[in-house]
Amino acid sequence: MAAAVRVARVLAARAIESLLVVLVLASLVFFALRLLPGDPAALVLGDEASPVELARVRALLHLDEPLATQYARFLRGLVTLDLGDSFRRPGTSAMARVGEAVVPTAVLAAIAVTIGALFGVAGAVAASGPWLPSRARVWVERMFVGVAAVPLVAFAPVATWALAARWRLVPLPGDPEAGAAGLLFASTLLAVPLGAHVGRVARAALAEVARAQFLVTAKAKGMAPLRVWVVHALPAVAGPVVTTVATQLGALLGGAVVLERMFERRGLGTLILEAYATRDLPVLEGAVVAAGLLFALAQAVGSATHAAIDPRARGAGP
Amino acid sequence: MRRKARRWLDLAPLLVLIGAAAAGVALTKGPAGRLDPAQAWCAPSLARPLGCGEAGVDLAALLSVAELRAIALAVVVALAGFAVGTPLGAAAAIVRGRFERAVERVCDLVQAFPSFILALAVMSAVRAPSRVALGAVFALTAWAPFARLALAQTRVLRDAAFVEAAVALGRGPLGVLARHVVPNLLGVVAVQLGSTGAAIVISEAALAFVGLGPPGGVSLGGVLDQGVAAMLRAPHVLLVGSAAVFATSAALLVAGRAAEG
Repeated sequence: MAAAVRVARVLAARAIESLLVVLVLASLVFFALRLLPGDPAALVLGDEASPVELARVRALLHLDEPLATQYARFLRGLVTLDLGDSFRRPGTSAMARVGEAVVPTAVLAAIAVTIGALFGVAGAVAASGPWLPSRARVWVERMFVGVAAVPLVAFAPVATWALAARWRLVPLPGDPEAGAAGLLFASTLLAVPLGAHVGRVARAALAEVARAQFLVTAKAKGMAPLRVWVVHALPAVAGPVVTTVATQLGALLGGAVVLERMFERRGLGTLILEAYATRDLPVLEGAVVAAGLLFALAQAVGSATHAAIDPRARGAGP
Repeated sequence: MRRKARRWLDLAPLLVLIGAAAAGVALTKGPAGRLDPAQAWCAPSLARPLGCGEAGVDLAALLSVAELRAIALAVVVALAGFAVGTPLGAAAAIVRGRFERAVERVCDLVQAFPSFILALAVMSAVRAPSRVALGAVFALTAWAPFARLALAQTRVLRDAAFVEAAVALGRGPLGVLARHVVPNLLGVVAVQLGSTGAAIVISEAALAFVGLGPPGGVSLGGVLDQGVAAMLRAPHVLLVGSAAVFATSAALLVAGRAAEG
């Protein structure tokens, strides 16, 4: 089978799975809002609403229709990217508000993935190659394990307090004047756990690759150590690294929500929280779906990157 | 003997933490959330070893209760995931074929699922987030790592001689599963209890931090939230809350190793 066809098949399977994730997430939100005890209309208006008001809101949100009709409408809305107007800002479509919020979160997460992957892989190479004394290499490994065990929600506030409030080395990312430095600081915080996970996995994968024939050949040909690692070993560990990033993406999005809330940055997380606080159901549904889409898209990009870097993922195989 | 000693050593941090929290609860006079506005944001002192938070709430008392509740939630949900995931994964590997592949893929998907976003979405749909609702949401994804581990381990076990012997002697698949496979993979799969428990403590704290915690604010994340709000005025709140989240998750993580057979 031609390599291109193989890659296309893998990507198609991945795309279907990604869409499934988005569908499940969207359906869970839809049914949670409608089937769990508590009338959504009463959630929107509060307990003291009059029956007339409740009926009006129910009609507005189509809550008076049968569940199957509502679900069909919801699915159609997902496909056409139209979930109706924002309930709290009539005239603005829910998807427009979601679209505005997706960009800052995507930027934050993308920078975090880049920083985390770069530092994780660099650390793993440093811990595998001949440059450091063996004791230092062990410490790099231990550091990966230790840092990976520290939850973001515990260290990010402390790091912010120490670096931004106490010593004023970095601007507070919530500060409107913080700009690029603030974004970089927030992304770095988000990248720390990811980098540690990537480093741990890449270190283990490199140890496996180090015994491979093609590395021995490259060394025998007289290649410089750095070139051997970068040109021959790294593409071979791309798979585990991409998989690690993919499995950590959910946690990364969660971390982004925590950081957005902490720094009062605009983004998907703050939009979900705001929509929750103001009971803006269309926006809430849209924002959660967007988070799922972001997650699925990032995973698809990951698979494609893997296929592009690692010859084994696209070349011959069973 | 030595292994037994190591097992107790692994459990020690968690037991110490639970003991300290229980002592904190026992020493508290009155309800844990009692406010004393005159003492708002006061620094740690002899009377209040961890200082006070917003509106003078005694952090030692508040954290003790929050700690016990977080550990209880983590243990219950992790055990539930263990009880559901292990037989499922083992059964998949015994049945083989399509069912096995399907379980494997679903596990991979669920493990990579943005579970925090899921929890956020479901919690925002319930009127007042309660601990039972939190537990239910976490349980939606908690079973997957157990099933995945059990599946991988059963693949090895299903070719073992004693399993083949049991089949040859005429035991049905259910009997083989219950008598020969599951007891042999418990040790390996139970290691996951620690990391699942730690993840639940962290998720609970993160949810409470962003404002979707249990009512009353008695949560590790609630203390962190207070700490961030008063970062400049009373940094001790932030440090204490952060240390509590870290200690609880780390203790659970280490305790998981005690199950290692």
